[in-house]
Amino acid sequence: MSLFNLFIPFPVPNLIPMKRRRFLQTAAAAPLAASGLRASDIVAMPKGRAEHCIFIWLGGGMAHMDTFDPKVQGDPKGSPKKAGSAYPGIDTAVPGVQVCEHLPKTARLMEHVTAVRTVNHNIINEHAIATNFVHTGRQISGNTTYPSIGSIVAHQRGAVNPNVPAYMLIGYPSPSRGPGFLGAKHGNIYLTDTVSGPAGFTRPADVTAPRVSARAQLLAPLQERVARDSLMADYEAAQREALRLAGPDFMRNFKLEQEAPDLRNAYGSEFGQRCLLARRLIQDGVRFIEVSHNLGFVNGTGWDTHNDGQEKQHLLIKDLDDALATLIADLKKHGLLDKTLIAVGTEFGRPPEFDGGGGRGHQCSTFSMILAGGGLKHCGAYGVTDDVAKKIVENPVSVPDFHATVHAALGINPSLELMDGTRPVPLTDGGKPIAALFG
Amino acid sequence: MTRLVSLFLALNASAPAATDARDGAQNDSTPVPRNEPLVRWTFDGEQPGELKGKASLQPVGPQKPVYPAFPTGNPALVIDGKDGHLRLTEAGLPGTNLRFGNGDAITLEVWVNAEQLGNGSYVYLVGKGRNKNKAFSAENQNWALRLKGEGGEARPCFLFRSRAADGKENYHRWVAKEGFSPGSGWHHVAVTYQFGQPKSMASWVDGKKSAGGTWDMAGETMEPPVSDADDVLLGTGNGGGAGNTLHGALDEVAIYRELLPEVILAQRYQFSPPPPPVDAKKLPRGKVLVQVCEDGVPAKNAWPAFPPQPTETYEEDVFGIFEVPQKYVDTGIRGDRPNPYLLRAAALVTLPAGKHRLLVRGRNATHLHVDGRLLVDIGFAKADSGGHGRVAEQDKYLDLGPDFRFAPPGSQEKWVELESTGGEHLFVLEQMVGGVVGSSKKRPETGEMVVAVSLQGTETWSLLSPGERRVDYTDAGWAAYEQERRTWLTVFNTERRAKVRSQHDVYWTKRRAAAAEWLAATSEVPVPAPVAGLPAHNVVDHFLNAKMAKVSAQVAAARKDGVHFYSEVLPILEQNCFSCHQGGKAKGDLSLDSLGAALKGGESDGPAVTPGHPEKSSLLARVTSEDEDYIMPPKGSPLTKDQVAVLDRWIREGAHWPELDVDRIEVTPLAGDLAFLRRVTLDTVGVAPTLAEIEAFEKDKSADKRARVIDRLLADPRWADRWMGYWQDVLAENPNILNPTLNNTGPFRWYLHEALTDDRPMDLFVTELLRMGGSERFGGPAGFATASGNDVPMAAKGTIVSTAFLGVEMKCARCHDAPAHVSTQQDLFELAALLETKALGVPATSSVPMDKLHEGGRKPLIQITLQPGSKVEPKWPFERFVGAGIGERLAENPKNSRDVLAALISAPQNERFAQVIANRLWQQFMGRGIVEPVEDWERGKPTHPELLAWLGREFVRGGYSLKNLSRIVLNSHAYQRATDPALKSPSPLFAAPAPRRLAAEQIVDALFAAAGKAMKTEEVSLDIDGRRDLKNSISLGIPQRAWMFASTSNERDRPSLSLPRIQAVCDVLEAFGWRPARQDPASSRATDPNALQPAILGNGTVAVWLTRLSDDHGVTELVLRDQSVEQLVDQLFLRLLTRLPTAQERELYVGHLLEGYELRRVEQRPGVQGPRYPAKYVSWSNHLDAEANALRIEEEAAARRGDPPSPRLDPAWRTRMEDVLWAVLNAPEWVFAP
Repeated sequence: MSLFNLFIPFPVPNLIPMKRRRFLQTAAAAPLAASGLRASDIVAMPKGRAEHCIFIWLGGGMAHMDTFDPKVQGDPKGSPKKAGSAYPGIDTAVPGVQVCEHLPKTARLMEHVTAVRTVNHNIINEHAIATNFVHTGRQISGNTTYPSIGSIVAHQRGAVNPNVPAYMLIGYPSPSRGPGFLGAKHGNIYLTDTVSGPAGFTRPADVTAPRVSARAQLLAPLQERVARDSLMADYEAAQREALRLAGPDFMRNFKLEQEAPDLRNAYGSEFGQRCLLARRLIQDGVRFIEVSHNLGFVNGTGWDTHNDGQEKQHLLIKDLDDALATLIADLKKHGLLDKTLIAVGTEFGRPPEFDGGGGRGHQCSTFSMILAGGGLKHCGAYGVTDDVAKKIVENPVSVPDFHATVHAALGINPSLELMDGTRPVPLTDGGKPIAALFG
Repeated sequence: MTRLVSLFLALNASAPAATDARDGAQNDSTPVPRNEPLVRWTFDGEQPGELKGKASLQPVGPQKPVYPAFPTGNPALVIDGKDGHLRLTEAGLPGTNLRFGNGDAITLEVWVNAEQLGNGSYVYLVGKGRNKNKAFSAENQNWALRLKGEGGEARPCFLFRSRAADGKENYHRWVAKEGFSPGSGWHHVAVTYQFGQPKSMASWVDGKKSAGGTWDMAGETMEPPVSDADDVLLGTGNGGGAGNTLHGALDEVAIYRELLPEVILAQRYQFSPPPPPVDAKKLPRGKVLVQVCEDGVPAKNAWPAFPPQPTETYEEDVFGIFEVPQKYVDTGIRGDRPNPYLLRAAALVTLPAGKHRLLVRGRNATHLHVDGRLLVDIGFAKADSGGHGRVAEQDKYLDLGPDFRFAPPGSQEKWVELESTGGEHLFVLEQMVGGVVGSSKKRPETGEMVVAVSLQGTETWSLLSPGERRVDYTDAGWAAYEQERRTWLTVFNTERRAKVRSQHDVYWTKRRAAAAEWLAATSEVPVPAPVAGLPAHNVVDHFLNAKMAKVSAQVAAARKDGVHFYSEVLPILEQNCFSCHQGGKAKGDLSLDSLGAALKGGESDGPAVTPGHPEKSSLLARVTSEDEDYIMPPKGSPLTKDQVAVLDRWIREGAHWPELDVDRIEVTPLAGDLAFLRRVTLDTVGVAPTLAEIEAFEKDKSADKRARVIDRLLADPRWADRWMGYWQDVLAENPNILNPTLNNTGPFRWYLHEALTDDRPMDLFVTELLRMGGSERFGGPAGFATASGNDVPMAAKGTIVSTAFLGVEMKCARCHDAPAHVSTQQDLFELAALLETKALGVPATSSVPMDKLHEGGRKPLIQITLQPGSKVEPKWPFERFVGAGIGERLAENPKNSRDVLAALISAPQNERFAQVIANRLWQQFMGRGIVEPVEDWERGKPTHPELLAWLGREFVRGGYSLKNLSRIVLNSHAYQRATDPALKSPSPLFAAPAPRRLAAEQIVDALFAAAGKAMKTEEVSLDIDGRRDLKNSISLGIPQRAWMFASTSNERDRPSLSLPRIQAVCDVLEAFGWRPARQDPASSRATDPNALQPAILGNGTVAVWLTRLSDDHGVTELVLRDQSVEQLVDQLFLRLLTRLPTAQERELYVGHLLEGYELRRVEQRPGVQGPRYPAKYVSWSNHLDAEANALRIEEEAAARRGDPPSPRLDPAWRTRMEDVLWAVLNAPEWVFAP
C-alpha cells in the first residue's frame, strides 16, 4: 500500500525510498490485477496513441444546430416562428462540412476536428441527471456511484508525470465529476478560476516566503514525533508532498503571465485562459483536464439558451471559437496535438424550434459533441442528421460509444472492467469506439 | 315542500333603498353608471319564482360586519345540495324577456356560499332550460352560470347550447382559470358574454377578472344559442340531483341584458375579514400566545374567509418567530402540516403614550391587527421567477435607523405609525405559512416573522414584548435571540415527540417483554474465565483474553521460516479465487476461505489442498492447466510462475493456515488519562475535549473516573452529531438541494438526528425507518422511501436494509444472481415487494440481456433466474435467520408488510440483527469489526463468535439501546488501551488499538470546535428566499456540524449557483472520505492518506479561517488573557491536542512567541462607521442575472480571504501566533484518534 496514490491506482512496494520527488508515487509497470482490473473477455478494440485529454464542458446544453450542425436558417421572431438554425453556416477546411458563421477560426482548422453530430440519449428534463449521464456514461442505479470519465482515465493511466495530479478540473466540483466507487484518491484537483489556483495548493496571499519557512520549522517537531513506519508516518509523508506541491515546481503552471501576451489575447476570455492553463498542465504531465465553459454572464444563461439567452448566444459561440481554435493551433505548435485529445461535451442539444421567448428548449434525441486532435483520423463531421437536426439519419453514436472513443483514443480498452468492491463494472456500458476515426 | 313566494315585477323586486346601500359601498368618487337587471333576487322581500324541494330562505346571507354592504340578518336562498331550487316560469314574470339570441349581451351575477364542491363536478347557480322538462328537448340549455370544481377551487363556468341554421346543435362550455375556495364563505361571481362573439367571454370572482378561461367543449362558436320558453332555475339544473345542485346558499342573483361594466363588477365585492378569534381576557399575561391553525385554510394564495381556530398553541416571550415547533406523528416522527397553514401570535402589550413606529416582517402574506383593527396588510409572496429576477431589485431596501436590522432574504415587510394614548393594546399577528400556486407548493417557512417597535423619540428597534423580556432587533440582538430560541426549540421538540411516542407505549412494552421472554428461554453465552496475566475491566475483556491465550499457542507453533500464509498465500487467493470461491455460495461448491473447506474440496475436483502433497491438490492443477475450459481463474491472466511456486511451497510445508492473522501479541497498557479522554470524547461526541472538560477530568481523583466520563459523554446531546455521518452513509441519505434526480432521498437526516438524540431503541428505529412515514421533504422517514430517477426504488432500499441491519450484501441481485452471494435476484425483489407492500415487477433495466451474458465462451459467472417482466410477491427471503412466522406474531400491524418486515428484522429471535448492530458499533470504537466487512458477512467470519453472540444478547437486554451497548465496550480494558503506533491495522485479537484515522466529520468538527471558530457558511440551499416549489428546492439550514452539509449540487456549473463557503468545508470533508452524494450505501470509507488531505488542511480556505486570528476566533481570546507565554503554549496544546507540549516543543514555540509578547495587545480605538447597507444575495430567483455571477465570484474571493484579523492584536506578533496555530492544527496527530 502506498500513501501517495491519490491520483494513480498502482500500489507501490514500501521499499521504494522516497528519493525522487513525486506528486504521488507510481509504478507504471504494476500488473493489471493489482489495479483492481480484470482483463476479462477483452474485446479487440482500436487503440489510439493519445496521452492526454482536455475535456471541455459546455454546461447547459449546446445548441448543435446553432454551432456544429448548421441547417437552414429559422426565424425566432416571425409569426409564426420558423424552426431552424439561428445563424448561416460557413464552409470549413473540410469540403462539404459546414459550421455556423460564429465559428470561423475553428472552421479553418476542421481537418483536426470531428463534430460527432449523432450523439443521443433519452434524458431531457433535468440538467443534473443528463450531466451525470454524459460524465459517467451510465444511468444511476442506486447501488453504485459510477465514476466520471476523468476519474476512469486517471485510474487507468495515472498521471503522465508522477509529480502532478492525473485528473484536474477547472470548474465546480460535483458528484458527476467525482470518482464514484473508485474513491477519493481518483478524484480531481479543482480550481474554479485561473486566478486563484487550486484549493489546497495555493498559499494564502498573506503567507509570505518567510512565513512558509517559519511554519515548516514550527511543524517539524510535530512531524518528528510520529513513529516511523506507522500510519501516521504515511500521513506525515503525504504532508511533505503536499507542501512541496504548494511550492514553485507545480504552482508555476498557474502563472499564465509567463505566456506571450499575443497568445493570451488569442485565447480570449477567462474560458480561453482556462484552455491555456490546460495546455500548460498537459505539458507538465496532467493526464485529464476538464475545462468548464459556462460563463453565464456572457449571455445570461450560458449554454442553457432558453428565452432571451438566445439573443447573445453568438457571443458565447465566438468565445468558444477563440479558445478552441487557439488551443488546437497552440497544441499543434507545441507538437502536442496528436498526443492530446480534445473532447467537447454537453449534456444535451437543443431543438430547431424556438420557444415563446425566442430561445430554445432541450433536445436529447440528437446533438453534437466534438473531438479534436488526439491522433484520430478526423473528418470534420461524423454522423448525419435530418434537415432540422432533430433525428439521426446515419451513424448514431451513444454516450457509451463516445466514451469508448475517448478511451480508445487514449489507448485504454473500453471493454476492461473496474471493480466496485467485488463487483466487476466495465469501463463503458457496452460502448464501441467510432471505428472510422481510427486506423 | 313547495312554497309560493310571490309574483312580482323585477323592477320592484329590489327596493331602491337597499340598492343605494349597496351602491353606496362602492367607490363614491367615481360616478357609477346605473344598470338595471332584467331580474334580481335579493330574498329580502317578495321575490319572483317558487321554492322547490329542500330550499328555504334563511337569514344567513352576506352581512355586516364581514360583508359591510349587507344588513345584519340578510336572508339568502339556502339549497341543501340534493334537489332544492327556485323555479321561475316565463309566466311568473310577465313582461320580462329572459330569452337571448345572437348579438345579445348577457350578464349573470350572484353571491354564493358554496360549502362543498368536489373536483370535476358542475353545480348550477342560475340557468334557463335543460330542465328535463317534457315540453322541451332534453338539451335545451339557453344559458347557465355554474361552478366547476377544479384544482380545489370553485370556478365560474358558462354553458349554452348552440343551434345552427341547419339545426346542428352543440354544447359550448367555458371554464374560468380562477375561482374561490369552497367553504370559505360568501363570494361574488359574475360572467358576461355577447352571444355570437366568443372572445367576449369574461368572468369575475370577488371583483377580480379572471386571467381567462377555456372553451373546453366544442370550442368557441358564432352560432346562436337555443332560445325557448323553458324555466329559469336557481340552485340546480339538468334535472337536479346531488351532482347538479349547489350545496350552500345564493343571494343577490341578477340577470342583465347587457355587459355589466368592469368598473361595477370590480367593486361589487365588499369584504372586511373578521378580526382573529383571540380572547384578550384569556391571553397569558406577559407572554405571546402562538396558535397554529391547520384547519379551514384554503389551499391557495388566499386568506381564509373566516379566522380558523387553533389546532395547537404554545408561548413565546416576544413577537419573534423563525421556526415553528415540529409536528410529530405516529411514534414521534416528523410529519407535515397542511400547506398552507395559518400562524397566529397574540399578546397584550403595554405601550407608553406617543406615536410609535411598528415594523412587521414575514415570508408570506401577513396581517397585524391592533385592538381589532387591521393595521398592516402584507400581500402574498411573489411567485417563482424561474431565475429571471434581478439582483438590482435589492437596491431598494428599508433602513429605519442607525443599527436597523435589514430584512433577510425572502422577507416581506411594512412599517406603520401607531398612535397610542398609553396603556394596553391587543396585538394579533397572522401569517399564511407555505402557500400554493397552481400545483406548486412553497416550503412552509415563516421567515423572520416579527413585530418590532421603535418608541417615539428613539431610533432603536426591539421586538414587541408583552412582558419583561427585551430583545434588541439588531443583527447581534437577533442572533443571540435566535440561538437561545433554537436551544429551547430543541428541548421543546424533544418533549413533544416523546409525548407522541408514548401513545405507542403499550405495544413497545409488549416488545420489551417479548425480548425478555426470549432471553429467559434461551441459554446465555458462557463467559470465559479470566486469564492470568491479561488485564480485564469487564466481560468483554474475558472473551478477548481467552481468545488471545488460545491463538498465541497457535502462533508459537507455526514454522518461522515457512511460507507466511497471510502475507504470501492469502493475497493470491483473494485476487484470483475469492470472487467465486468464497462466501455463502461458492462456485462448483468449492470454498477456499478456510482450511477446512479447502481440504474438503468442491463437487468435481476432490480436495483443493492436500497438506504436504501439491500433486494431490486440485488447486494447483487448476491454476497450472493449459486447458481453456479447465484453467483457473476462468477470466483474465493466469497466475504467474512465482505465485504458483508460493502455493506449491505452502502446500508442501503442510498448508499452515492459522486461525487469525497475527504475528505478535503485545497487549499495551491502559492509555494515559488525556489520551483516553481525547479518544473517548472524539468517539462519542465527535470533537476533542474542551479545556474545562480536561480540567474536570484531571481533578477527578475517583477510581471510576473513566466510567463517569463515559456516562457523562453518553448523556451529551452531541452524541447524535457524532453518529450522523455514519448512519447517513450506511442508510444512503442523499438529499439534493436542487431538482433532485440523482437517486436522491428526502432529508431524513433530521429523523436520524432525533432518533439518535432520543437513543431510540434500534428495533423501534428499524420499524420507523421501514414504515417510511411522516414528512418526505422535511425530515421524516418518508424521505428514506424516495429514490429520484430510480426505476425500482424499493429494490435499492432493499439492498440498504439488508446490508445495514442483516449484513447481507445484495447489490448484485439488483440485476442478476451473483456468483459468490447466496441471495438471488428473487430474494431481493421479495424483500423489495415487502417494502412496496405489494407485488413488484422486474423492469428490463433491472436485468442483464442474455446476449451479454454469453459474450464470453465459458459458462457465464452470473445467472439470470428472474426474467424481466416477472411479478414478485412480498416474502421474507431470510428464513436462515428467523422463520417468517414470527413477523406477524410480533408486528404492531400484521396486515402491513413493512411492519412485518421490521418485526422480522428486529425480533430478538433474529440474532443476526442484534449481532450486526453490535458489530457495527464495535467496529467504530475498536477500528475493526469482529466480522469484516461489517455489511457483508458472507465474506468474513467472526474472529470472536462467542463475544459477538454475547454482545448481541446484551444489546437485546439493554433494550436495543446503542448507548447501553456502547457503555459496555467503552468501559473495557481493550478499548482503553494505549495505541500501538507500529500497527497498521488493529490486531484481530484486539491486543492493542492501531492508530485510527478519524472520520472526515470528526476532523472538521474537532478543528472548528477546538479553534473556537464558527463555520459561518451559507445556508445549505439554493433557494434562500423560498420562492421555488418545495419539490425542487429545500433548505438544509445553516450547518453547525459537519453532518449537516450536502453536495452543493452545481451540476449546472454556474458561478451564481456556487456556495463558496460551503464548498470550502466540503473540500476538507471530501478529501477525508466524506461523500457529497450518497447514491449507494457505504459502511466504511477508505482511510489511506493522500496528498490532498494535508494540502487542504495546510493551505485550503478552511485553513485560512482556522488560522486567522479574527475577533471571533477562540484562540484570539486565549492569547489576550493575562498569562505567561509558557502558560499560553501549554493551554494551546491542551486545547488543540489534549496534551501538554514536550519540552522541545515548548521551547520552540515559546521562543517563537516571546518577541513582542508583552506588547501583543493593541488598544482599540473606536472605529469610524461607514455607510451601512444590506449585503446583496443570490438565490435561484435571480441567479440568471449577470450580477448574480459577479456577486458569487466576489463571495468566493471573500471566503478565500477569510475574516479580517483582530485589531486587538499587534500584527507582527499575531502573524507569529498564527504560524504557531497553523503548525499545531497541521500536526499529523490531528487526524488520528490517540
